[in-house]
Amino acid sequence: MKKLIAVTSCPTGIAHTYMAAEALVEAARKADVSIKVETRGSIGVENELTAGDIAEAHAVILATDTQVPAERFAGKPVVRASVGEAIKDAGRLIEQALQEKGSAPKMDFVQQVQEEKSRRRAEVPGFYKHLMTGVSYMIPIVVAGGITIALSFVFGIYAFKQPGTLAAQLMTIGGSAAFGLMVPVLAGFIAFSIADRPGLAPGLIGGMLASLTGAGFLGGIIAGFLAGYVAKALNDRIQLPATLRGLKPVLIIPLLSTLIVGLLMVYVIGVPVKDIMDGLKNWLVGMNKGSSIVLGLILGAMMAFDMGGPVNKTAYTFAVGLLGSNVFGPMAAVMAAGMTPPLGLALATALAPKKFDVAEKEAGKAAAVLGISFITEGAIPFAAADPFRVIPSIMVGSAITGALSMAFGATLRAPHGGIFVMAIPNAVGHLGLYALAIAVGTVITASLISFLKPGIR
Amino acid sequence: MEGLRLVTPDLVHLDMRADDRKGAIEELSRLLGEAHCLTDTVTFMRDVWARENLSTTGIGFGVAIPHAKSTAVLRPAVAFGRSVPGIEWDSLDGQPVHLAFLIAVPAEGAENAHLGILAALSRKLVHADFRRQLMEVRDKAEVSAALSGIGAGANDV
Repeated sequence: MKKLIAVTSCPTGIAHTYMAAEALVEAARKADVSIKVETRGSIGVENELTAGDIAEAHAVILATDTQVPAERFAGKPVVRASVGEAIKDAGRLIEQALQEKGSAPKMDFVQQVQEEKSRRRAEVPGFYKHLMTGVSYMIPIVVAGGITIALSFVFGIYAFKQPGTLAAQLMTIGGSAAFGLMVPVLAGFIAFSIADRPGLAPGLIGGMLASLTGAGFLGGIIAGFLAGYVAKALNDRIQLPATLRGLKPVLIIPLLSTLIVGLLMVYVIGVPVKDIMDGLKNWLVGMNKGSSIVLGLILGAMMAFDMGGPVNKTAYTFAVGLLGSNVFGPMAAVMAAGMTPPLGLALATALAPKKFDVAEKEAGKAAAVLGISFITEGAIPFAAADPFRVIPSIMVGSAITGALSMAFGATLRAPHGGIFVMAIPNAVGHLGLYALAIAVGTVITASLISFLKPGIR
Repeated sequence: MEGLRLVTPDLVHLDMRADDRKGAIEELSRLLGEAHCLTDTVTFMRDVWARENLSTTGIGFGVAIPHAKSTAVLRPAVAFGRSVPGIEWDSLDGQPVHLAFLIAVPAEGAENAHLGILAALSRKLVHADFRRQLMEVRDKAEVSAALSGIGAGANDV
């Protein structure tokens, strides 16, 4: 069955928007096609079209008397009409849309990756969505801070211990300021994702307390969820007479939620979570070779499993969180394992050109660039086209890379940057062996895929 | 969401006397007042006219949906009035109005409740069958039942 999508919107944004939507749904039902209609009325956007809806659609009907964002439909045939036409003659618009020649979206590879990312974000369940919101706000701070710290190593790994030197200042910027913000921002934006603005104050403060009490990123995650749900509950429950209503967002919610979250963090949550974090750190530092290789295998496989999805981000967040505790091995393993899937696929298109079509070979070049930049999502279009061959192949390659990185004792002090961070002296411990780990995983991934993939007919 | 019935039989007027917008809004506001939905009919009507003066609520198809979110409203309700001869409303399509819905929503409470009701109502009214049904009903309870679905939007938002 062909799928259509539509957007309705009228200037006052009340009756006609919904009448047109209903008329289109009704006409589509009569014509036996499925349709999803986004309404842009004064209530706001409802039933919003996702990147997935747009990708699947045969054609788009824009029944609008106002400007609506249309760039997202690039490459799709579009039938334009007024709201009034849709209400009076929806059947004709449906027919017209069905007669349009359906076309695949003309998107380049990088854009496709972006679309897929936003589609996935829309699909993940609440818990992950909140966590990922927090992580996504935290990452730029960690990346800026981590790379600034790495820059201080240009002057020697302990150069920052000399007060007043540039190395010391870089360490202050990256280590004290940026890394100091890491956990508060994580917690603050987890809470923000749950409770919107009221969550931000208790979240940031709870996260700061997690930092101060040594409860680290684990404590920050707990503080974020706690702050979010506390602020949301208070905001929903507390009703005030109109004269006092102005006090609610500036005084009452922030103060109460901060006291609740803060006292819980200090008296109840902080200490046990600190013990867990200390235990985790000691275990990671004191781990024997065998266990560390197993950890590398698992983290590596996780990075490749869903290429930027929740499992991948869980492994990544774990490693980033440990940077704050001065544990650098898992970060190295995670970045290496996140680079090999797109790199391996790029190599496979070069090794076995007969097994890939022209578009895939082009995509291979883009995947190489995404790979060296540590953007694992570069593998997604290949995995989407052939999941049962591609995903196991990249998981094996990434797991081996992760294990090798751990076995070589490679360390990474910056949480991102791909090949570019390796260029900074001293940012990576055991650089040569680290590069070897990435190369081995890339070759294994490429060989597996070349072997498993059938030739194209 | 069942339970919230916005158009109760005492809010239905099947033979409106008014032949213009002003008279029709008065007649429907009186229904709301008598059904104890309003604290003050005059204030409420002033708020309805404030919206009406922005742009007409005569949306065409013989339908008008005047509406107000007002401090004079005690509980969300919709009054329905029918006029077979038609009411002059200055509609978008220039045609007289046969079916008028007056939406009343308290100023306190859900931000967009009245818009939710409006959206739900609009979705029903676009169907010619539904409009015909309303033109032909003889019984106030029947109207109330036919419009029972529109309250759902009020609680959503």
